[in-house]
Amino acid sequence: MQLVSIRRVAAGGAVAALALAGGLATAATPAYAASSKVSVVHGIPDTPVDVYVNGKKTLDNFKPGDVAGPLSLPEGDYDIALTKPGEALDQAILKVDDAKVPGGANISLAAHLSADGKPQITPFVNDVSKVGAGKARLIVRHTAAAPAVDVRAGGQPVFQGLTNPKEAKADIDAGTVKADVVLAGTDTVAIGPADLTLKEGTATIVYAIGSAEDKNLKLVAQTISGLHSAPGGVPSGTGGQAGTGVQTWWYLLAGVGVLLLVVGGARVATVRTGRR
Amino acid sequence: MTVRNRGALAAMAAGAAALTVAGLVACASRPAETVGAAEASALASATPTPAAPASAGTTGRVPVNTGTLPADATVPPTRLRVPAIGVTATVNPVGVNARTGEFDVPPSVDQVGWYRYGPGLEATTGSVVIAGHVDSAEQGKGAFFRLRELDRSDLLTVSGADGRERRYRVVAREEYAKTKIPLDRYFARDGRPRLTLITCGGPFDPKTRHYRDNIVVTAVPA
Repeated sequence: MQLVSIRRVAAGGAVAALALAGGLATAATPAYAASSKVSVVHGIPDTPVDVYVNGKKTLDNFKPGDVAGPLSLPEGDYDIALTKPGEALDQAILKVDDAKVPGGANISLAAHLSADGKPQITPFVNDVSKVGAGKARLIVRHTAAAPAVDVRAGGQPVFQGLTNPKEAKADIDAGTVKADVVLAGTDTVAIGPADLTLKEGTATIVYAIGSAEDKNLKLVAQTISGLHSAPGGVPSGTGGQAGTGVQTWWYLLAGVGVLLLVVGGARVATVRTGRR
Repeated sequence: MTVRNRGALAAMAAGAAALTVAGLVACASRPAETVGAAEASALASATPTPAAPASAGTTGRVPVNTGTLPADATVPPTRLRVPAIGVTATVNPVGVNARTGEFDVPPSVDQVGWYRYGPGLEATTGSVVIAGHVDSAEQGKGAFFRLRELDRSDLLTVSGADGRERRYRVVAREEYAKTKIPLDRYFARDGRPRLTLITCGGPFDPKTRHYRDNIVVTAVPA
């Protein structure tokens, strides 16, 4: 693992830079500020780390392939650093200063290898909009030291020409698909195939991590639930035998009944009066 | 007594009979009374118990999970028994009708459908939804024909694909116009664990061949 000089993650537009912190919630942020949910994904092979947020150790011995969070972080700027387990903060192998966490977002911060194999941190804003009933969202992120890839499901390409550190996503029918990752435009399998269970109403985020050169490419998954929608309705009867409404002609019958009573009563009264 | 008078009395008798019959029909057709609505609503809004504390290897309360690919651990219901209304029905896993976006109630009216996208019997939060036909024009009465007769504290039993039987107790029976039913609440995946049975009811429109309302029965683990 090489030492990386301090990198600044620019927080442009919706792109957020990240951070994590257990006890940070009360730190110098106005109470009205919106919080964001922040997860951290470890995609650097063979390199467990300690994670520091604003100088405070937040994750101890965080292992490759693990996903931490989500943490609720108030909007603000955060300093993040990764060290080898137990090493001092000034020996950090990766640092991001003044990373911006916007309010009200859902963010994943991936520590991973760049296309040419250098450790870096990339913030991703997760799409947590609702999916339609019966659908699941699949998001694939290329965070591996590897060239452009295609992602296939059931042998058919679903995402093509994906490069580090980009993502591709789609809302598809929920269920299990056999997925693999191939070098772009080829049938050369780089990862998989793997059975991918896409649960309805969730976003399944799959990170390709590792290095093609070192032959340790693999997949790491993060799932965000609660994005489901209810079906449009429950149509469950066409017979009418259980109908509880009173049909029009029963009202008519009641009306005729009243009419007969009135007319009949009037006649009786008339006849009696006439006799008198 | 004149013929005229006799005719008038006969008309009055017929009128009284017509009124009585119409009144009886009206009484028999009363919509099912809603019971337990507040309790059903409270079940949906109850905050689920917090997740287990973070596993070893973390500092503070930051949860850490291995990023393994998700697997499906749902336990589908297979059989529903409701002795109070004489129902024993096969439960089929169903989803959403691709054309209408609506719940795909099994076409065979003696079977009922479990919403396979929602919680299964293993769930510790949320609403397990089973819907069935009240009736159909072609097949007659359905498994849930008498669902609106269910009352609080009636018991029902659901068998799961894991071989276990689970018992539930009815806490609410509600009737909603289909245009107003809060489906999000009944298809929720959070809140207290509960079983939701749905069918059609209310006035029937013979022209569109649709009922106006849905009958919803909510039950909790007994």
